[in-house]
Amino acid sequence: MNVTFLIQQLINGLSRGAVYALIAVGFALIFSVLKFSNFGHGGLISVSAFAGYFFAGVLKFNPVVSVILSAVVGALLGVLLDFIAFKNLRKHKSPSIYYFVSSITAGILFMNVLTIFFGTTFYSIPPFFSQPTINLGNIIIAKLDATIFIVCSVLLAAVMLVINKTSLGLALRAVSMDADTAKLMGMNSNAVVTFTFLIAGMLAGVSGIFLGANFTVDPFIGNMVAKGFIASVVGGLGSLPGSIAGALMLGVIEVILTTACGDIITPALIFVFMLIFLLIRPQGISGKFIQEKA
Amino acid sequence: MALLKVNGISKKFGGVQAVSTFSMEVEKGKVVAIIGPNGAGKTTIFNLISKVYTSDTGSIILDGVDITRMSQTDAARQGIGRTFQNIRLFSTLSVLDNVKVACDYKAKCSMVEAIFKAPRSFKSEKAITQEALRNLEIVGMADLANEKPGNLPYGLQRRLEIARALAMNPKVLMLDEPAAGLNPEECFGLVDFLKDMLVKFDTALLIIEHRMDVVMNIGDKIYVQDFGKNIAVGTPAEIQSNPAVLVAYLGEE
Amino acid sequence: MSSFLLSLITFSAITVIGVVSIFPLTGLTGLFSFGQAAYMAIGAYVAGICAVQLNMTVIPCILIGVLTAGLVSIIIGIPTLKLRTDYFALISMCLGEAITAILRKFSTVTGGAGGLSNIPNYVGTTAIVISAIVIIAIVACFKNSSFGRMSLAIKNDELAAKSFGINVYSHKLKVYLFTSMIAGYCGGLYAFYIRFIDPSMFGWTKSSEWVIFLFFGGINSLTGSVISAILLSVLPEFLRFATEARIVMYSILILLVINFRPQGLLGEYELSLESIKKLFHKSKKLQGGGNNGTT
Repeated sequence: MNVTFLIQQLINGLSRGAVYALIAVGFALIFSVLKFSNFGHGGLISVSAFAGYFFAGVLKFNPVVSVILSAVVGALLGVLLDFIAFKNLRKHKSPSIYYFVSSITAGILFMNVLTIFFGTTFYSIPPFFSQPTINLGNIIIAKLDATIFIVCSVLLAAVMLVINKTSLGLALRAVSMDADTAKLMGMNSNAVVTFTFLIAGMLAGVSGIFLGANFTVDPFIGNMVAKGFIASVVGGLGSLPGSIAGALMLGVIEVILTTACGDIITPALIFVFMLIFLLIRPQGISGKFIQEKA
Repeated sequence: MALLKVNGISKKFGGVQAVSTFSMEVEKGKVVAIIGPNGAGKTTIFNLISKVYTSDTGSIILDGVDITRMSQTDAARQGIGRTFQNIRLFSTLSVLDNVKVACDYKAKCSMVEAIFKAPRSFKSEKAITQEALRNLEIVGMADLANEKPGNLPYGLQRRLEIARALAMNPKVLMLDEPAAGLNPEECFGLVDFLKDMLVKFDTALLIIEHRMDVVMNIGDKIYVQDFGKNIAVGTPAEIQSNPAVLVAYLGEE
Repeated sequence: MSSFLLSLITFSAITVIGVVSIFPLTGLTGLFSFGQAAYMAIGAYVAGICAVQLNMTVIPCILIGVLTAGLVSIIIGIPTLKLRTDYFALISMCLGEAITAILRKFSTVTGGAGGLSNIPNYVGTTAIVISAIVIIAIVACFKNSSFGRMSLAIKNDELAAKSFGINVYSHKLKVYLFTSMIAGYCGGLYAFYIRFIDPSMFGWTKSSEWVIFLFFGGINSLTGSVISAILLSVLPEFLRFATEARIVMYSILILLVINFRPQGLLGEYELSLESIKKLFHKSKKLQGGGNNGTT
């Protein structure tokens, strides 16, 4: 087993990890601000993938424009998702698990509506790059993967900047800690939450078109949100940089396991890996841990 | 010999020493009160004794048994009963069920017997229901057995919490701010009620309280805490004239 | 009775068993698992394999299926029930995928992705409906016992529950075992009814279905689970839509319930002797205005 092979595997793993990271950040954002796992994110990704196909494949816009438009579509869908699935739960102060169930239902809804309209045909987004790969000696790097990696890093940095350095971000953090007090302090909690979904939706929009370009445009492509969930947990629930680290780790491990054991049995091995990881380090990579007070 | 002996327990959260080297003795049939300004670490002491937290140092001996390393569940079974600062009643269980569930851990019936309604499950259920009703009668709430705790007025919710804790037949009953939210008249009622419980249940009482009329009326021994440290121990009369206590509560002149 | 109606009743009964099986786990104890269909898969496949490969008769096959599901649940439960609720939910989701992967991998025994077919013998509608009724009764007994109360206590406030001597971890294990064995039984019945099973039938979407049905009926109500399972199995058939539209329809239905009646269709209402008596007395009062004395 030579070094080149290992490095190639690592690169493949990181590429896959980058795709997962894109999903994970949108997922982790909602978790850290609103404290629940939003499986509706998958629905947003699926619809955005189709939007991406529409812009790049049908209207034949160039990739950059298509990505931006998909991001806009995603953002609007994010707000819609909040409206149909979560807004009333906030009003009724429902326990957090209801949000989880509502999000899964909404995700299923979005994906199945897509199936009704687009179920039977294969759609693919035309390649973004005429020369799809860069060759460094014997190592192949796909340009799309590299782009995803860069875009993901930039987006994450931007989101972290907004959250930590702007007054809007401050409002977001206040609402995430205590929505009622934030309201009493004069913040419009609902507006802040809507804004959070706007950003998360934007991230879903970008994820959707890139996933569609990387794989094929399929109504159930959004089920990859499960990877985002795993990445967030491994990275430490509530930590955005952690979820990226978790995603990369997941990508690399998946590639290694697939090469070593075949892709059929890999899900079972990932399960065992997750179990062992959570038992050894339940606080995840970033180490956030909450002790309940009596 | 003291029923509950606490020796030098402490707890640090990150950089904050919430409780420093606290020691205490509680005798059977007596009332010990812990008082102090907010943030003094009083509830933390309760959490340490009831094993919600594990103490960094020291030991806790209950009726001769070392419970320092026990889990919260085991400590409860050994005889630590408690109520909470914020009422923690089981909201989807009825008033009666809230008390019954405190007896359920010692039910003499396995799950298989319960689901197939074997005769032992009927006996077990009957015994538990009777014991729970008895406890509700003692606190005067038997007629509210089928109510939901959320529908009860605040004072009765607090009383239900106490009834629930008493159903465990605890050796030491720890009450966290039992008088919170009560008006002066209700406070008198509480003092009488607690004195009555002490007799009926043969237990020791450990309370955290801010209301001085309750503390001075019922306390046999008082521990004063401030910023995690103990600043005074004594009878109500001794505490009332202790300068350090006055400073802690009222500030320097 | 037409065969369409019979199969409708049977599939409803199977769904009822599935949804009722997660009632003690999710409704009572508050543990969200999106992997219970994995235990249905284990029950179905073990029973099916015993029949196909080992030529055993129905009852021993199903029994072995149930015991296997139980054994696996203990192995999985011991480490995972120590984790936080969200982690447990996540792991349970991965469990479904793991079981599916294993079923695909060992295709010589299980038939792989193509499925296990020609399962001999047959379990009829009557047996399945009776099973459903018995299981509802068992779960009702559970709810009204010490164990039901302790489950609710754990769901409402785990920390407080510990202060009342409840061994939370061991209780969760017992409930998980109980729940998974019922799901395994459901799988065994299913295998012998439709006589063909494949891994895709038991994924996390099936598990999610059960959870969503439970919610729809009212998470605190066993009666609600039963009614919800029947309603949501039967309704789409009468509307004669294609499969995708049916899923869309019930997703919308559930979102409506979550938005406007989050406590579920029945809230906390349970059908019991007392509630039937109350209904009876109410209707008597409306009829004659007589003095029936106090209720």
